[in-house]
Amino acid sequence: MSVGQVRIRVPEKAKQGEVVTVRVLVTHPMETLQFKDGKPVAKQYNFIHRVEATYNGKKVFEAELTQAVSQNPLIAFPVKVNEPGTVKVTFYETTGKTYTGEAQIKF
Amino acid sequence: MNSMHDTSRRRALKLLGAAGAVAGAISFGALLPPSAARAQALGMPLEDEKVADTMKRLFGGRTVQDAGERIKVDAPLIAENGAVVPIKVDAELPMAPDKYVKNIYIIADKNRRPLNAKFSLTPEAGKASIATNVRLASTSDVRVIAEMSDGTLYGVTREVKVTVGGCGG
Repeated sequence: MSVGQVRIRVPEKAKQGEVVTVRVLVTHPMETLQFKDGKPVAKQYNFIHRVEATYNGKKVFEAELTQAVSQNPLIAFPVKVNEPGTVKVTFYETTGKTYTGEAQIKF
Repeated sequence: MNSMHDTSRRRALKLLGAAGAVAGAISFGALLPPSAARAQALGMPLEDEKVADTMKRLFGGRTVQDAGERIKVDAPLIAENGAVVPIKVDAELPMAPDKYVKNIYIIADKNRRPLNAKFSLTPEAGKASIATNVRLASTSDVRVIAEMSDGTLYGVTREVKVTVGGCGG
């Protein structure tokens, strides 16, 4: 698995007005604080600090993560679907890179 | 988690905090260049803090009401591996456009930096229910706090026993 691979799971079919749970998994090391001689090493740590999700372009969910979130973060969040569309999830890494994944929700 | 804390550094940071320096802005102090110390630079962990300071930083002086049954937290009683502790939050709180759950915080009391994650929802979400995996350094109370759009705070606390800590370092 390569870093930044985003996998999204949505229900196969949804009804209008239903609240569906979107589950996202991203492959990422989520580096934690390193220590040397009992002191934290001052360096830039590579972890995902922000997650944003849109449904048909409209923002539905956002999260701020810290290093206290596990490696290969799994996040589940609800979306109320009124029409079929695309859920798009973007992960922001502290190095400036972003990882995106998309999934279709069909009726 | 590493037990070899530099206690003098801790004390110095605490003193700084008490002196009224902006809690969120103190990074590693002397370890970082001044510019990085002023604002929390990207990729830099937050400074170590006590959970009381975290609560103060996030919520000011606002009191957290006991949510009772309204927030259901699904967390293991005993987590064998602190590196991956699944937490599921289901809040039976209104999600109407005028009053909804704005943020859900997961805070682990004994973690070096207690704030684990903050989730922001919109009324479009339809229901306040999130799940994630967090790292726990040691056996600790895990607080889940829901912040409503009007500023009301509801919280529940769960104890999770951790066999092997999961914060590295």
